Amino acid sequence: MRVIKQRPMNWIERLYIFEAIRGLWTTLKHAARGLFRYETLPTISYPEGQPEIRNTYRAKHRLMLRPDGTPRCVACGMCAAACPAHCIFIEATQSDDPRIEKRVMRFDIDHLTCVFCGLCVEACPVDALRMDTKVISFEHRTREEFVSHLFDLTNWDPKDYPNDPQSQVAPGGTKNAEALKVWGMEVK
Amino acid sequence: MDIIESRTWIEWVITIAKFAFCFVPVLYILLLIPMERRGAGFMQDRQGPNRSYIKIPYFGKIRLLGYVQNFCDGTKLFFKEMFAPAGVNKFLYYVAPAIPFAIVFLSPCVIPWFGPMVFDWGGKAVRISGSIIDSEVGVLLLFGLSSLSAYGAVLAGWASKSKYSFLGALRTSSMTVSYEVCLGLSMMGILLLAGSFNLTDIVSWQEHHVWGIVAQPVAFFCFLIACIAETGRAPFDVAEGEPELVAGYHTEYGAMQFGLFYMGEYSHICINSFLVATLFLGGYSVPFITTETMQAHMGGSLAILCGVLAFLVLAFLHMIYRYSRKLKATNLTHRFEVLREYSLYKICAWVAVAVLIALGVCSWFFYNPENFVVNGFAVGSFATAVGTALIHLLVLVVKSVMFCWVWIWVRWTLPRFRYDHVMHLGWKIILNIALINLVVTAVVAKLVGGN
Ligand code: SF4
Ligand code: SF4
Repeated sequence: MRVIKQRPMNWIERLYIFEAIRGLWTTLKHAARGLFRYETLPTISYPEGQPEIRNTYRAKHRLMLRPDGTPRCVACGMCAAACPAHCIFIEATQSDDPRIEKRVMRFDIDHLTCVFCGLCVEACPVDALRMDTKVISFEHRTREEFVSHLFDLTNWDPKDYPNDPQSQVAPGGTKNAEALKVWGMEVK
Repeated sequence: MDIIESRTWIEWVITIAKFAFCFVPVLYILLLIPMERRGAGFMQDRQGPNRSYIKIPYFGKIRLLGYVQNFCDGTKLFFKEMFAPAGVNKFLYYVAPAIPFAIVFLSPCVIPWFGPMVFDWGGKAVRISGSIIDSEVGVLLLFGLSSLSAYGAVLAGWASKSKYSFLGALRTSSMTVSYEVCLGLSMMGILLLAGSFNLTDIVSWQEHHVWGIVAQPVAFFCFLIACIAETGRAPFDVAEGEPELVAGYHTEYGAMQFGLFYMGEYSHICINSFLVATLFLGGYSVPFITTETMQAHMGGSLAILCGVLAFLVLAFLHMIYRYSRKLKATNLTHRFEVLREYSLYKICAWVAVAVLIALGVCSWFFYNPENFVVNGFAVGSFATAVGTALIHLLVLVVKSVMFCWVWIWVRWTLPRFRYDHVMHLGWKIILNIALINLVVTAVVAKLVGGN
């Protein structure tokens, strides 16, 4: 157990009045700052000014893409199993690529139910699911629109993720041509 | 206490016009609420309410620096449904909020808004006092009236049949009673020095000697604390302490009835700040200049006043320009809208600067009314008297606004006292200091040989 011993107040502090004046001085400084240096206030006037969001922030999901544009997801269902809110719905089907067993036919994430815990991202064995889109506001008119479908999740632009090599592999990215060559090679 | 002494019509007109000063506390509410809300915001590093707007052509959304918000809130309170909880005493319940608000119109009657206007009118010297009622018991009347507002709280607490309200009312009444004593005693020193209860006399004493804050610094301090406690605001707001009593005596009130309590509180602050300014900060008197000097150089004084105002407007303009520049550099999506809005302020402020400078120059050259001496008194013309009154009024308003700021400042800085601490502070500390101060003042005044 740690005992924190507080310094006993000296008699000037116990008189209260001088400490009160010190407090008044502090608030006066803050008030003057608000009045004369309004723009230094930390408030972001929200809809007009957007907060700066890191890519580690758990925002809306996206599905990573292979060089040929198909989702990296192999429909293993790990994310759906890990999801504590049970808001991922996956239907698998036969993959067209002979090297790959399954692909997703339906991949829905209900963002009304999602708690943005990020467990699905952790669970994915092939790094197919990420939450780094920086989309933090979800505005729709009906409940159905809050459910993101496969098209919505894969419809992102590699130019928005310039520093992420994995995203550049997708069609339209800087490393796509290179990656496509490797992807098209015969596997022995 | 004759309200009207002589028979000239100008005297009637001015005496009746003076009743307009009854509305000053109500106007102060309009000033105090935005000051409090934005001031509180700034002290907490927030921006304060600044979103409501009026839409006008070309300039777009005009927010008046957040001022429009208060109209919105007022409108909301006004149009909300009034209701009474079951089992209340209907009559008392509805009458209670009106009491503090009605007092507001009575209290300003003894405050001297400007020095006595003495002027020559058709060969006759006319003297009009600066307060609505030039009473010999001025201060006492004011105290009597302002402590009446406690009845509103007591009745509200009693009539609403709620334990929270009742406890709040009890606390209010006990606090008002105990701090009324401190208030009265701490003020006694300055009354002793001035030798009068009449506020006009007190101010003229301060004008000719020193300000009350210099003569009686300890009393000023006690008086200020007691005043803040009497208005029942933080840090002395035990009567409506949210953690214990929901909202104290107005727990059961909503809509405009709550609004009346709210406005009553703000007007009380206004009256008290006028009182502090009058008793301890020389009231309407201009620092370092006597009224006589000012009247002798009327045009120059008005010109200096205009210059000061123009300087303030220029400072405002500087702030607007500076902030516009900073805003342009940001990437807020509404920045052009805001700049459009600011262009209106810029236009208004530049017009104000031009008008003020023109007025100042005009008064410097053309407003030099001659003064007469009638029966040994310097008696100016009507124009001199009006100019003096104007300057006095402005000076008083500036002083009182400064004290209103003290109220807000203290409220948003200090944490609430516990109820027993408040009583301890009132009865055992401030009362004693005030008593000692009174005795010392009396002895010194006697030794020095005052009145
Ligand atoms: S973030 Fe959490 S709640 Fe949302 S889909 Fe992923 S696992 Fe489920
Ligand atoms: S865990 Fe990854 S690979 Fe498996 S279904 Fe979910 S997104 Fe697809």
